[in-house]
Amino acid sequence: MIVYNCTIQEGVISGETRRILNERLVQIGSQVLGEAPDDISVNYEIIPHGFGFRGGELSTSSSVRSRIPDGFSQEKRIEFMQAVQDMWMEVTGQTTAELVVGAADASYNSYPD
Amino acid sequence: MPIYRFKVPTDSVTLEQREKVAMDVTDVHCGSTLAPRHFVHVYFDEQPEGASDYPTTYYLDAINRAGRPKEIKEKLLDDLLNAFTRHTGVPRDQISGRIGETPASWAMEGGQVLPEPGQETAEWYAEVTAD
Repeated sequence: MIVYNCTIQEGVISGETRRILNERLVQIGSQVLGEAPDDISVNYEIIPHGFGFRGGELSTSSSVRSRIPDGFSQEKRIEFMQAVQDMWMEVTGQTTAELVVGAADASYNSYPD
Repeated sequence: MPIYRFKVPTDSVTLEQREKVAMDVTDVHCGSTLAPRHFVHVYFDEQPEGASDYPTTYYLDAINRAGRPKEIKEKLLDDLLNAFTRHTGVPRDQISGRIGETPASWAMEGGQVLPEPGQETAEWYAEVTAD
């Protein structure tokens, strides 16, 4: 199972572009990590204008934080993140300065007691 | 990275206050870490008052790179919460928060895999601040 959680700023990426991103993210998950397309999901959160900031200024940035199956090597993880980054820039026109990509193991707990 | 998300009741924090908090949070984070300013992301998530399970009316949910000492994280969290109260007038006992972590090597920003805290090199700074 791969889950992509994409955070984007209101008005920056159109609905049609998001549809293309969905297809391409599923392709990457399948081609790079070998996951079945039916086991890949893409979620979007749209930050309203005036509610997202980067470096203290209003943000145009996006983030793609994913959960991937445990056990992949760091080399494969980087290949996956790089593929997501390159595709996102190609489709949206955003730059590396406007994009955060993450790939965490599915079982990883960000908030251990 | 980092990503700071303030959970606030609907219409409780004005745009001017959000701008001031975001700038102050960026100052606080960059004052205690070696992150470039444009790596600091601050979001405000509005929700109806009483609709969340957070322990306080206002809440900061954060994600940072893993690997900083506990004392530094605790001071950072305290400074961040104080920054919020300074610009909003929200009493300090009405906001709490937590800083979650993710391994640096599991994220890319500025086109580069993030270095571990304290392992930032001059070359890395040059790459990620080139734009």
